[in-house]
Amino acid sequence: MDTQFLVSLSIILATFALYIGIAVYNTAKQTSDFYVASRGVPPVFNGMAIGADWMSAASFIGLAGTIMLLGYDGLAYIMGWTGGYLLLTFLLAPQLRKYGRYTVPEFIGDRYNSHTARVIAAISTIIISFTYSIGQLSGSGVVIGRLFEIDAKLGTMIGVVLIATYAAFGGMKGITWTQVAQYIILIIAYLIPVIFMSLQLTNSALPWLSYGELVGKMGELDRELGISEYFAPFTNGTKWQFLALMFTLMAGTAGLPHVIVRFYTVSTMKAARWSGAWALLFIGLLYLSAPAYAAFSRFILMTKVAGSKISELPAWTKSWVDTGKLQVADGNGDGVLQWSELMISNDIVVMATPEIANLGVFVIGLVAAGAMAAALSTAGGLMIAISSAFAHDIYYRVMKPNATEKTRLNVARISIVVATVLAGLVALDPPGAITQIVAWAFALASGTFFPALILGVWWKRSNSQGVVAGMLVGLAVTLGYIFAAKYGGFTILGIIDTGAGVFGATAAFLANFIVSLATPAPSQKIQEEVLDLRYPEQMTYKNGEVWMNDDATKA
Amino acid sequence: MKKIDKSVADAYFRERTRNMIIYFIIWFLVSFGVVMIAEPLSELSIGGFPFHYFMGAQGAIVTFIILLFVNAKLSDGIDRKYGIDEEKNVKLSEGKSLDH
Repeated sequence: MDTQFLVSLSIILATFALYIGIAVYNTAKQTSDFYVASRGVPPVFNGMAIGADWMSAASFIGLAGTIMLLGYDGLAYIMGWTGGYLLLTFLLAPQLRKYGRYTVPEFIGDRYNSHTARVIAAISTIIISFTYSIGQLSGSGVVIGRLFEIDAKLGTMIGVVLIATYAAFGGMKGITWTQVAQYIILIIAYLIPVIFMSLQLTNSALPWLSYGELVGKMGELDRELGISEYFAPFTNGTKWQFLALMFTLMAGTAGLPHVIVRFYTVSTMKAARWSGAWALLFIGLLYLSAPAYAAFSRFILMTKVAGSKISELPAWTKSWVDTGKLQVADGNGDGVLQWSELMISNDIVVMATPEIANLGVFVIGLVAAGAMAAALSTAGGLMIAISSAFAHDIYYRVMKPNATEKTRLNVARISIVVATVLAGLVALDPPGAITQIVAWAFALASGTFFPALILGVWWKRSNSQGVVAGMLVGLAVTLGYIFAAKYGGFTILGIIDTGAGVFGATAAFLANFIVSLATPAPSQKIQEEVLDLRYPEQMTYKNGEVWMNDDATKA
Repeated sequence: MKKIDKSVADAYFRERTRNMIIYFIIWFLVSFGVVMIAEPLSELSIGGFPFHYFMGAQGAIVTFIILLFVNAKLSDGIDRKYGIDEEKNVKLSEGKSLDH
């Protein structure tokens, strides 16, 4: 029980107490509270809640490490995960808000008037959110593993218990305000180490302006070592892979069920537009800092850690070697640790850097609390998406329309616990780095929901047969490509598993177009409902005419 | 409820759509466009960064954020121009959601 452990644990416990306090204070009283927080959240706060929901263990723990190891090629994650907000905010969020349903499968089921489409959408939601939550659990494993200085696997098991309990009891109540608090904790926890490192290395409190120099300097160091320059483009994959990954992450962002549902919590289309803008501003704070984090960490490792004697390595190396995520082996036996002998996992860079840079026990504890906030808030959102897809869209809308509210809540809770435990089992031996697992979830979303939603909102001729074909083909192509690329070594233009969404989305769009045109058009009523989404709430499209609602009585 | 000329509603939609197309062209150029010509751009430099790296790490994100705020602001203006009243929107959308 050293000081570091006690400080980290107390900060984590204090932040947890805060979240639970907020959750209890905002207890859900009815179904609409439960699913969409009664639709009255102001855009700025909804922006923060989207930020917390969005920035998962992949963004917080994995992103800077991924950029550190991939250099320029890692920036596809930065641009993809931010650029998707334009697709979401311009093309989908306000329109889906006007349509007024609780969940994405519900929109698809009602817009296409098909239970088959609803069930496929619900199953896709479950697959996507499940894949995504594997990344979160594996992230919480890294944090807990380091905290208790145990193997990350054991940490993951503790994470499962925590997240299942949190999501099934506390997380479902007043989640919006809990997420606002989680955003504030996680962004402070991310910015403090970056700003301190910037002060240490560049004497500037503004890392965003100062780290450019370091990136240039690292280029020189890399040339001396004879490895490819940090900023050189396309050294870890082809240009096509970069573009495909960027597209996959953008389209996936616009189709992720647990993020879209957050746009239902605002009151109007206008509020949805502003939520999107605020959300990206808050998210941007972390995404603008991640490449700086990466550059500072790499610079410190290259200049201060590499080149020291193996016998004199600082104490932090031991704790990380214990988690199984860091390897320091003196390959050539000269007693000195060379840069090439340091094997560091993507997923520990953010957690380890504050120790590497000697930032003190408080900052290290704060980063652990921030990482837990990121993993918990996203896991909470994901579990709600899974449980509502199952309890609301499959169980209630399709299987048992007469189920009481109490039974539905119980089904929702049970599905959360089952999903978390299953995801935890997979996360024990994660099939990839956190960012990579999360990229698969995005590939699946871009192959299924992105085409279904875009065509559902913008093309009135798209019908139920079309969307069913589109989602099935998109799912099959995306899954097929991920497996073929990861395990079969099959690639097109050097595009690997993480860029699979580009093929899934293309196939799904084509299938939806072709099958829709080959089958009868949807009913007049549905076509008019789709055209109606072009206009603000006050305008209604009916029988080929537009009506303006002036007296604001319910339509 | 009063009927309005469909051409007015269409003009509203056209105005919003035109802006959106402009935003998407800029979005495409700062992300996909820059990546496609990353090699020649790496010869240029800005604030110590090679230009392609700067765009990936900062330039593109800042542009995206600005575009979203510009859209929110301009869309409010278009709503006003066509006499859309946000308070009425709030009341209307309250009645619009399905209750289960």
